[in-house]
Amino acid sequence: MKGLSLWQQFWYYLGHNGTYVLQQFNHHFAISVYGVLLAALVGIPLGILISRHHHLNGPIISIANIIQTIPSLAMVSMLMLVLGLGDQTVIVANFLYSLLPIIKNTAAGLDSVSPVSLDAGRGLGMTKWQLLVMVEMPLSVSVIMAGIRNALVVAIGITAIGSFVGAGGLGDIIIRGTNATNGGAIILAGALPTALMAIITDWVLGWVQHKLAPHTAKKAQ
Amino acid sequence: MIRHRNLKIGALLFSIFVLVLGVSGCSSSTETTYHQPKTLRIATQSSTESQIMGYMLKDLIEHDTNYKVKMVNNLGSSSVSHKALQNNDADIMATSYTGTDLTGTLGMPAQKDPKKATKTVDRLLKQRYDEIRYPSYGFADTYAFMVTQANAKKYNLTTVGDLKPVASQLTAGVDSSWMNRKGDGYNDFAKVYGFKFKRVYPMQIGLVYDAAEQGKMQVILGYSTDGRIRSYNLKILKDNLHFFPPYNCSLVVRGAIIRHDPHLKKVLHRLDGKISLSTMQELNYQADDELLEPATVAHRFLVKHHYFEGGDN
Repeated sequence: MKGLSLWQQFWYYLGHNGTYVLQQFNHHFAISVYGVLLAALVGIPLGILISRHHHLNGPIISIANIIQTIPSLAMVSMLMLVLGLGDQTVIVANFLYSLLPIIKNTAAGLDSVSPVSLDAGRGLGMTKWQLLVMVEMPLSVSVIMAGIRNALVVAIGITAIGSFVGAGGLGDIIIRGTNATNGGAIILAGALPTALMAIITDWVLGWVQHKLAPHTAKKAQ
Repeated sequence: MIRHRNLKIGALLFSIFVLVLGVSGCSSSTETTYHQPKTLRIATQSSTESQIMGYMLKDLIEHDTNYKVKMVNNLGSSSVSHKALQNNDADIMATSYTGTDLTGTLGMPAQKDPKKATKTVDRLLKQRYDEIRYPSYGFADTYAFMVTQANAKKYNLTTVGDLKPVASQLTAGVDSSWMNRKGDGYNDFAKVYGFKFKRVYPMQIGLVYDAAEQGKMQVILGYSTDGRIRSYNLKILKDNLHFFPPYNCSLVVRGAIIRHDPHLKKVLHRLDGKISLSTMQELNYQADDELLEPATVAHRFLVKHHYFEGGDN
């Protein structure tokens, strides 16, 4: 392999281990998505709750903020002590890190709905639930989406660290590259797809967010 | 009003607590009655060798039995792997080396006789942790002195003993942890072989092969199975006084797993004695130098030797 340049080695590696890289890519993406989805299931209701009851804003956001300050390596190691080695540890780490952006954006999105729209809804005789589902959510969904997008990009980065607790994913390939004789190409084969995944995810969710934005907001842009 | 509010916050914290508990409950089931798992977890260390062996076991188990296999890769050391087995985070440990387990995991004094060492490790792992250690895969990893072919010719070297007359002119690169080891370290080596090098450079083990290749030093002490021995065509000097005990490599499995499934027990025996030192060097070389993933190397080996058709050669 010495005759080949780094990029030639990189393509050679992908050519011979393509399915493996793809497997790890999917695995990596799944771990990231599970954590964020779980966080969305918990975070969106919490966000709605604190936009309704502002006195809860302080404690909930503080807890989420504190979680956010823990370095990811420390978080993964601490969770490992409780949850053991494997995917579940990294999924829970992703879940915890995703809470803050999702809760905050949900609350901010709901708060930004103009009182005029709410009044119009009430004038039509909507119940509280109808108001939420038919007026507030549609008007704030793009802001909530921005929170999820933010969380997912962060989660992809954290999952790469998760290889240290045996979770697999593209981080496995990076670590192996650091152990091999001329591992440069292998490191790239793990790192580039990770970056690519984050960029594509960000781009796709950005597009979704734009599509979901209410028409008035789009015109304003 | 205040009470009401406290109740709400309480309910909220409680639900978060339940959620975290629920998630953790999924992973560590602590039932009193034994249930054979449907998924087996194989722990490997971060070395290429460990991962190749791990993937071979995975392929064999998935082909011969109904278990699914999950890899727990990149564990830092042999002790971490044993811990994973004891904590029920893994079921099988792909590579256990006699010497490392004897002095590291079990905290016993070093033992020169490899047969006795293996016996002690096997017995104590079973006694203390109910871990069953299988017979060796067929290769042993040990420290070995190596030189480039050019230097071997120049100084006329085939055994470690041949170094004696020329050692005072030669520099050596060795694993930093070897320098001060008791029993098989540098001081004891000098006593047994009766010579010291002109200068010894302790360094990280991964660097010695490149150092030899680039001529920074004439003699190096490396691991006998490393793929780079072949990439750089290094010559291993025969340990004619048997100073370095060969440390057999084998798999370790949690006792309960194979007691409840004799078929699995048999399947795991399929690699016993099948992988020689030169085979392992070759496999490591493929992974490290030919840019193949350990998973690919393992699969190709099994296909080439007809393991999936029931054969083994």
